[in-house]
Amino acid sequence: MKTLIIKCLMALGLVLSVYSFNVQPVMAHGEKALEPFIRMRTIQFYDVEWDKQKFNVNEQVSVSGKFHVAEDWPVSVPKPEASFLNISTPGPVLIRTERYLNGKPFMNSVALQPGGDYTFKIVLKGRLPGRYHIHPFFNLKDAGQVMGPGVWLEIAGASANFTNSVKTINGELVDMETYGLSNGILWHIFWGVLATAWLLWWVRRPLFIARYRMLQAGMEDELVTLNDRLIGKSILIGVPVLVLAANMMTVNQYPNTIPLQASLDQILPLSAQVNAGVVDVETLKAEYRIPNRAMMFTLKINNRSDKQIQIGEFSTANVHFLNKELHVPSQVGSESMTAPEGLSMDNTAPIQPGEQRTMTITATDALWESEKLDGLVRDADSRIGGLLFFYDEHLGERFISSITAAVIPKFN
Amino acid sequence: MSVNISNRSFRPYTGEKARITRAYDYLILVLALFLFIGAFHLHFALTVGDWDFWVDWKDRQWWPLVTPLMGITFPAAVQAVMWEKFRLPMGATLCVTALLIGTWIARIFAYHYWNYFPINMVLPATMLPGALVLDAILMLSNSLTITAIFGGAAFALLFYPSNWPIIGMFHVPVEYGNAQLSIADLFGFEYIRTGMPEYLRIIERGTLRTYGQYATPLSAFCSALLCTLMYTLWWHIGKWFATVRYLNKI
Repeated sequence: MKTLIIKCLMALGLVLSVYSFNVQPVMAHGEKALEPFIRMRTIQFYDVEWDKQKFNVNEQVSVSGKFHVAEDWPVSVPKPEASFLNISTPGPVLIRTERYLNGKPFMNSVALQPGGDYTFKIVLKGRLPGRYHIHPFFNLKDAGQVMGPGVWLEIAGASANFTNSVKTINGELVDMETYGLSNGILWHIFWGVLATAWLLWWVRRPLFIARYRMLQAGMEDELVTLNDRLIGKSILIGVPVLVLAANMMTVNQYPNTIPLQASLDQILPLSAQVNAGVVDVETLKAEYRIPNRAMMFTLKINNRSDKQIQIGEFSTANVHFLNKELHVPSQVGSESMTAPEGLSMDNTAPIQPGEQRTMTITATDALWESEKLDGLVRDADSRIGGLLFFYDEHLGERFISSITAAVIPKFN
Repeated sequence: MSVNISNRSFRPYTGEKARITRAYDYLILVLALFLFIGAFHLHFALTVGDWDFWVDWKDRQWWPLVTPLMGITFPAAVQAVMWEKFRLPMGATLCVTALLIGTWIARIFAYHYWNYFPINMVLPATMLPGALVLDAILMLSNSLTITAIFGGAAFALLFYPSNWPIIGMFHVPVEYGNAQLSIADLFGFEYIRTGMPEYLRIIERGTLRTYGQYATPLSAFCSALLCTLMYTLWWHIGKWFATVRYLNKI
């Protein structure tokens, strides 16, 4: 039996050691885990840029961009009445020093309006050196995390050099890394010493068996002595007095304190950037061909501008399908989320000013599968949403329309 | 088989017997300490959770209501065993000490070294003053009813003032981003928590409103009332689960 157990343990050890040779760092934050219809029809990020990707501890870095809040918000997802623009990091390897929505600083959660257009900017400061995969993203209340495009950031330097000082309203400069730490430890030690003394007072005497036998024998008066009772009375009076005295001292030391702040920030959307009334797009049909990994849209486009326009890009859930004929600039640094030749159309001729055209465009790439967007056909809400980018003939002006439709799967 | 001992027939152990019973005491104490560190810490993390984890969750309304209410559970159960069977009035203090040992280990190793949060952002609350008073009231009164009413109430009422010396300085205001924040709020803004958006905090929400802007006394007295009931419930849970069957066989 003993030999068998040793053999089993050795086998288990061997299996575990094999795993230990193959440990890989985590490269993602579950950004593909959220259902496709939520990723495609809630927050639609675009033009997201980082001002740098290599910097030092204490150095600032910012990410800015735009997003459109989908009009066709999924019925099963609560409306974005409380949303939090966040940064996905493996712990606070950076700190967030500033955050803006439509140019206005905001500290709390914010209510967003479906159909609204917003710009954002987040300023961060390097805290711990390392290489990290970072996304801007929105926490949506009761819905989950909708990720923006991610990049790799490299922070150099030494964590010991990190500083984070903040000035209070009273003008006091405080170091956020250590503020209140020694005071907190001191109070925990103070009460810990008193508690330990009380425990030792009892532990120094015979405990369980002896006391149980004595209690059974009716010797209760010997188990709790007069001295014990005296100490108990001292605790009963002394501890509350100490607590109230310490509390009063703190109140006097910090007379101007405020409760935690928890208001919801209200920031109105910009004037329409998407669906601005220049190029109208109506989605007549969307069809997903599973074997080809191709989403085919039938669109009715009305060009109200005074310029001829062409479709340059379709973007959904941070995946960009580009029209290779147009050579539009890639929106993100990460090539892996862009299909540079992924967008094709049945009629490549520019849409003339005032022209109304019904056409078919096809977004084809393995990214539908690798980004787990093709799972849409198995969702209860199998509607797609995304942004269509039109450009004038000089690629100088851009018109953005949001499109949305129910998706019909083609299995063969 | 249990042994019936007649009144006043017990003589204190001496010699080898005393040494062995003492060793048994230490064995049980060490096991109990680890048990309470693990079990009470887990219970506390699952029930009080974020209110105790983060400095920007420790509000004046829900934190002083929820923490003592969930914190009095294990102390009541352990007191029931330790007092009724051994006349040891240290159950509450032992439990809360064990909780704090577990909490400090988690805050230093899990929160600070593993997840890089500054320790001052995750300072735990203390319930030791309330636990000491709870033990003292039980010993002096030898009554479940009195301990539940006065001890339970004291446990709740002492919670906020005993923690204000630790967290008060985190409520100093800061002007930041055209808004007024406490330093605690600023911790929540600056030190990024991917899975903890600001809206998850439960700060003065619901129908438990302030009374003339005094939120804490209202919460503390509400908690005191609930603690008297919670104490009684968990006393009986402790009593129900405890057995001295094995002790009787010694």
